[in-house]
Amino acid sequence: MHLIQRMKIWKELRRLEQRAREEPSPTTFVDLGQVYINLEMNDKAQRVAEDGLALFPKSVELRKLLDCARRGLRKQRAVELRTKLTRSPNPKLYRELAQLQIDLGDMTALHATCQEWSVRFPDDAGAWLVLGQARLLNFYRDLAAREGQEAVRCLERAVQMDGEDVQARRLLGEVLYRIGAVSTALDHLQALQVHEEQDPELQALLRHVSSLPDHGSDVDSLLDEVEEHGCLAHPSMTAAQPRASQDESLGRIRDSLAQVAEIPGVRKAAYIKGSRALVKGAIRDGKDPFLRVVRVVAKATHRFARRMDIGSASKSVVDGSFGHICICVYGEVLAGVQCDNGTDLELVLAELQEIVAGSLYSGTHDA
Amino acid sequence: MSKIQEMVAELRSTPGIKGAALITSDGLVAAESLDERYRSEVVAGLTSYLLMTTNRSLREGGLGQCTQFVLHATHGKAVFTTLDDSYLVVLFDQFADLTAARREVQGIAGRLRRATRLA
Repeated sequence: MHLIQRMKIWKELRRLEQRAREEPSPTTFVDLGQVYINLEMNDKAQRVAEDGLALFPKSVELRKLLDCARRGLRKQRAVELRTKLTRSPNPKLYRELAQLQIDLGDMTALHATCQEWSVRFPDDAGAWLVLGQARLLNFYRDLAAREGQEAVRCLERAVQMDGEDVQARRLLGEVLYRIGAVSTALDHLQALQVHEEQDPELQALLRHVSSLPDHGSDVDSLLDEVEEHGCLAHPSMTAAQPRASQDESLGRIRDSLAQVAEIPGVRKAAYIKGSRALVKGAIRDGKDPFLRVVRVVAKATHRFARRMDIGSASKSVVDGSFGHICICVYGEVLAGVQCDNGTDLELVLAELQEIVAGSLYSGTHDA
Repeated sequence: MSKIQEMVAELRSTPGIKGAALITSDGLVAAESLDERYRSEVVAGLTSYLLMTTNRSLREGGLGQCTQFVLHATHGKAVFTTLDDSYLVVLFDQFADLTAARREVQGIAGRLRRATRLA
């Protein structure tokens, strides 16, 4: 690309950026993002899509743009990793590359990566775990016995190689009970207790699995039955949980939010799930800037924590001349508060956490 | 070692702190003392992204600027303090007591603010 062409593109970009700022709409954001994608500047395209989605969370075009940008970023990262692996192979890089290939749905490349990984590091169980995860995804999607057999074989190999691999054992236990091999699944899940005895989710899973009827331990024939009937023998723990009615759950969240709004110093309180929000306090309408700040900050913290490899962002507090903005988030559910200086932040965060956790347990889906 | 670097290293020696860095508002590392698991350019880029995104949304909502940002995640915590033209980022492990560490962070932030003004 020569200089004049490049200058023309930058001029066009500046025009589109200004348009997106002055006349924000899904189309203006998509136009700008598309130019960035054409220039292979996927990080910028992703930022544009995220900014657009913060304003227009329901836009299908913006979601497509975000997917496309992320896919481009993953491809770029995969190329970088491949180069690094050629120079200095190590299991951590293989794991990252394999996960990217799963996300990209490139099964051929994934197999090649895992094969190379297990040849270079024969004592590392990671390759078998990742392959097992990929096969498991296919099995849960298509319920094809062949994929299930491969998934179980890979996960069993991973568990044999590293008996302390919690993830492999949990995945194996889960797929086994879902197809009906309850007794074998229980053996694996009970073995997990040694490593995670305090994990309440594991305890709940054990209780759930123990209550299910056992269909035997012949995994191959159980998988064939799943394929034949087109459904799994047992529901997942979440699906089996009784759900509170939507009205009941909403009422509970509304009450909890009102309780938070009554804490001295709290000015605005909101519960947000997807594009919908329940609000209390001095909030004019759905366009109140506080709601946008909560959404944008929650998304940014999530991304920060994920990229820094410090797990999932759960709570954050932003201080400024406006007082404090406290946010509690889990998955797509978040609760936020704007309060004055001097407010009991510990109490506010504890209440927000209760709201988020409560809404998850009650299984509310349409707040 | 510069005075600013010394202060950042001093902060890093506090129990529970896994790293500290002074990042300019455009994402460059002015001083750092980080645990080996963190790469300074990644910390700088992500800090700049987080604070710029937050400040932009606050500004657009007419709420001004963020002065401090505290983040809790499942495997770690972070405190970001806005100085004049830079940010002080302090990374903690997940067990750290932020209330206890906050005084230490604020003290160093004040000293850094003065030092960066003089520099």
